[in-house]
Amino acid sequence: MLKIKDLHAGVEGKEILKGINLEIKSGEIHAIMGPNGSGKTTLSSVIAGREDFEVTEGSMTLDGENLMELEPDERAHKGVFMSFQHPIAIPGVTTTNFIKTAINAKRKALGFDEMPAAEMLKKIREKAELLGLDRSFLSRSLNDGFSGGEKKRNEIFQMAMLEPKLAILDETDSGLDIDALKTVANGVNTLKTKDNAILVITHYQRLLDYIIPDYVHVLSDGKIVKTGGKELALELEEKGYEWIK
Amino acid sequence: MNMNLKDKLSASFLAFESNYGVDTNENLHQIRTHAMDQFEKVGFPAKKNEDWKYTSVKKFLDRDYSLFPIKTGNVTHKDIEKLLLKGTETYKIVFVDGVFQTHLSDVSHDQLDVCILSSAIKKPKYQIVFNHYFNTVASKEEGFSNLNTAFTSEGAYIHIPKGKVVEKPIQILYITTDKEKEVLLQPRNLIIVDENAHVQIIEQHHSFSDNFVLNNTLTEIFANKRAVVDFYKIQNDNIKASLVDNTFVQQKEGSNVTVNTYTFGGDMTRNNLSFYQVGENINSNLNGVTMVKGKSHVDNQTNVYHQQPNCESHELYKGIYDEASTGVFNGKVYVEPIAQKTDAFQQNDNILLTDDASINSKPQLEIFADDVACSHGCTIGELDKDAMFYLKQRGIPSKEAKALLLFAFTNEVVKRIRIPQLKQAITDIISEKLGVELEIEM
Amino acid sequence: MAKKYTENELEQDLKNKEYEYGFYTEIETEKFPPGLNENVVRAISKKKNEPEWMTDWRLEAFRAWEKMEEPDWANITYEKPDFQAISYYAAPKKKPELESLDQVDPELLETFKKLGISIDEQKRLSGVAMDIVMDSVSVATTFKETLDEHGIIFCSISEAIQKHPELVKKYIGSVVPRTDNFYAALNSAVFSDGSFCYIPKGVKCPVELSTYFRINEAGTGQFERTLLIADEGAYVSYLEGCTAPQRDENQLHAAVVEIIVHDDAEIKYSTVQNWYPGDHKGEGGVYNFVTKRGIAHKNAKLSWTQVETGSAVTWKYPSCILKGDNSVGEFYSIAVTNNYQQADTGTKMLHLGKNTKSTIISKGISAGKSQNSYRGLVRVSKNADNVRNFSQCDSLLMGNECGAHTFPYLETKNPSAQIEHEATTSKIGEDQLFYCNQRGIDTEKAIALIVNGFSKEVLNKLPMEFAVEAQKLLEISLEGSVG
Repeated sequence: MLKIKDLHAGVEGKEILKGINLEIKSGEIHAIMGPNGSGKTTLSSVIAGREDFEVTEGSMTLDGENLMELEPDERAHKGVFMSFQHPIAIPGVTTTNFIKTAINAKRKALGFDEMPAAEMLKKIREKAELLGLDRSFLSRSLNDGFSGGEKKRNEIFQMAMLEPKLAILDETDSGLDIDALKTVANGVNTLKTKDNAILVITHYQRLLDYIIPDYVHVLSDGKIVKTGGKELALELEEKGYEWIK
Repeated sequence: MNMNLKDKLSASFLAFESNYGVDTNENLHQIRTHAMDQFEKVGFPAKKNEDWKYTSVKKFLDRDYSLFPIKTGNVTHKDIEKLLLKGTETYKIVFVDGVFQTHLSDVSHDQLDVCILSSAIKKPKYQIVFNHYFNTVASKEEGFSNLNTAFTSEGAYIHIPKGKVVEKPIQILYITTDKEKEVLLQPRNLIIVDENAHVQIIEQHHSFSDNFVLNNTLTEIFANKRAVVDFYKIQNDNIKASLVDNTFVQQKEGSNVTVNTYTFGGDMTRNNLSFYQVGENINSNLNGVTMVKGKSHVDNQTNVYHQQPNCESHELYKGIYDEASTGVFNGKVYVEPIAQKTDAFQQNDNILLTDDASINSKPQLEIFADDVACSHGCTIGELDKDAMFYLKQRGIPSKEAKALLLFAFTNEVVKRIRIPQLKQAITDIISEKLGVELEIEM
Repeated sequence: MAKKYTENELEQDLKNKEYEYGFYTEIETEKFPPGLNENVVRAISKKKNEPEWMTDWRLEAFRAWEKMEEPDWANITYEKPDFQAISYYAAPKKKPELESLDQVDPELLETFKKLGISIDEQKRLSGVAMDIVMDSVSVATTFKETLDEHGIIFCSISEAIQKHPELVKKYIGSVVPRTDNFYAALNSAVFSDGSFCYIPKGVKCPVELSTYFRINEAGTGQFERTLLIADEGAYVSYLEGCTAPQRDENQLHAAVVEIIVHDDAEIKYSTVQNWYPGDHKGEGGVYNFVTKRGIAHKNAKLSWTQVETGSAVTWKYPSCILKGDNSVGEFYSIAVTNNYQQADTGTKMLHLGKNTKSTIISKGISAGKSQNSYRGLVRVSKNADNVRNFSQCDSLLMGNECGAHTFPYLETKNPSAQIEHEATTSKIGEDQLFYCNQRGIDTEKAIALIVNGFSKEVLNKLPMEFAVEAQKLLEISLEGSVG
């Protein structure tokens, strides 16, 4: 599904990613772990197509299609979803209205008609229930005045609505208490199928107790320095990042 | 027949210039002459001038002010005791009828200069600094500012050198004594605070006279890199004294300047306060409390010019207007295109206590940069009736209840005073104005 | 890597975006030669077959205007119009008395279609009665019978002068006196048409009333005059839309709207103003100098809602004189400026009566090199006890070459007043755009979404049909304008 080869990228002339190789197949869960400043957020931003980051070398394809040529919204239409570490507020625009706009933009790009209102409503209810969001929450302005936990649940709600091929969860556990973490993880696990894939980006392994990865990659100074199974996360937790250096 | 004030000032200018000597400071002579030309051009502000829409100076123009005090009144320590800060040592620069009083003052040249402007004008040692800064931030357009510049001769001169943290507050006191006639005084302050230096200054004007007094004062404050300056103006004068205060602040990178304006009395009080931010990471604070009655008229005009990125300004003015007093608040915040990441907050809250009191408020934002957080707010109202009822129901008499609520209203500003003794003094004035004894948590 | 959509490209897109309503309709018109003097004023009056009192009324206004000076206090700069170079009367020749739509010139109907005004049965069913003023003359009033049943008078002001002189005479100039200001005086002298509406006592107008104004002829000024009266206990919701063709020279629009809301009555007045704003170089466009004012008597309510996206220069302050006790005034505004547009707009709430209330919500959106100013006055008179006012002025800036300004004046002479004013300035953040992009929403759509969110409180006040149109207008006006 996602193939990244020898990816070099940076910001304002400073190289942060120094040759990343990563392949994610359908049905897999990958975790990328690494200390602060190792390039985790850069990697997720580059996959999603954030303009501030410049790719200097390498390739990145999704189902064989070159992602680099695409705008962030076009990548989203192809099925890339990124759960933000700091979700953005848009005052005056309700969560419902926002998600409706997003879904229909994608459908339009893929050549479908807009989703009928009744179907939309049904889906919203269903997915909101899955994430334990009540309806009043959906009619509030997007992320405006939401608590940290509400914002993260809202991100996973949107993921549920958009049904991406590849979901990148960027530090989704930060700022969540254990109950909220369980709700979010449960949501993610329910959404997991054999046709999609998840890339979890995290500093700590605690989220990986709930979202069990098939592969764990350790990122350090812009490179993947070690790859292993889920036990690698525990080992890291125990020995600290110094161990892999 | 009396001469019109403007004509009289024009006529007096030459005499003044020859009195104070051209030869001592050629630079100053040029500036004065230019300022006089400009004043003659623009004159006193009229109501059609947008910035003077709500304040008239017409009544001052027909008064026959004495411009140069002939003899100086005799003022003793005892006379000014209640105006001095108690419980802490201070530097003092005291003027009576425009003339510096050595016996009442406590000045210094030890590691810092706390002295008088007339010395700085003349003595070569200070002249370089004086010429470098003088009149570089004051308005070159506005009438009152030009008038003050034209007649510059005396005032406070404060220069705090690099890295000096001044432990004692500096008090500047301008006293007017009884004369046979009205007096117009034009003191001029020049304050320079160098890199990393800290200073606290308190300025006060007070009239002991039964005649009309008009003070047209101008202060220039220069805060160099990372300097911290707290400037307090206490305006609690008698009902025949009027004040036009022009204060201009220029701030360099990383500096923090606070100007606090407390107005409790006087006939007409007009405060023109302008901040110019010429470096990054600057913090400008403007605090004000106005609490007046009778026919007092208080007009606070503030300008904050955000000219560089990453700076902040915080403005909080509170006004309580009793009896037939009138208030004006005209706050402007300008954010220039280059001044991205500006944080500018302005709030003006007012309470009218009687049917005859009135307030005109005009908070303005002019913004040319897009990545900024600017907001202003303004409220006008009366005392909260529910709160009054609540207090009364708990047995607090009307007068005390009212005092308590009004004090709470002003306390949001008062608590920002960073000199404890001054905070106490201001609290005492407010208690006195409210006619109650207030126990205040400091 | 995704190609960055640069600011230059955005700018280019924006420049290429043409004014959607910039077409010109070829209709034979009768047009006066340019110039203004007493004879022209007389000729206009004569052309319209007006009674003598009306002619005199105009002449007095003209004489006053001659002595007045064009105001310059607003935060706008423009080349002052040459009032002698303007033609003060232009009417579609085939006009006059149109009883039904069948009689309307087909080309005119085509124009309306382009404007998106479907004066057809559907519209009737949707419940909008419409009066259309093209180049100063009312050409079609729809929905007449329904209105007649209720005794509602809705016609052109010319017709009202002929058929209801007593009403016109009583109310015209009563809220906006002829000498009120320079443009009001000019309008009083030369107004050629406009709408008139009278809702009798106790009648709730069952349909929305609507007027569409359009400047068509080159070199003409449009000076329409609108007079709305809701008698005791009456209610009406009135809509007004404006467009003009694209031209190189500036066109002048100086309208006067007077509203009288009697005891217990209510009028909602909504405007979607989309006069030609000029091109990306700042050439052409309409000068829009409008005086709108209403008076609210006891327990009456007057509500102004406006969406301002057009005009090169706008100078407009819909105002409420809250004369009667317990009367209510409201002002909801969205003003969008782009390219070189300049808007100085806001409101005046004059609280004269006791327990009067006013609300001001103003949303300014500036893009390009435009300047957007809010100027508002809230005045509480000495005898106006228990006045309540709440004002909120929010600005949204896009790019670094535009400006947002707020000039609120709050004057209070009564201690029982509670006046609150709040203002904020914000921008559309790159973070917001990227977030939307990541969810598959393109940049144009994202801007529209964010702007709609920002403007929501005002859009909600518009009648449904107008709200949709207004939303579309906002999108068009701001396409590609993010910095």
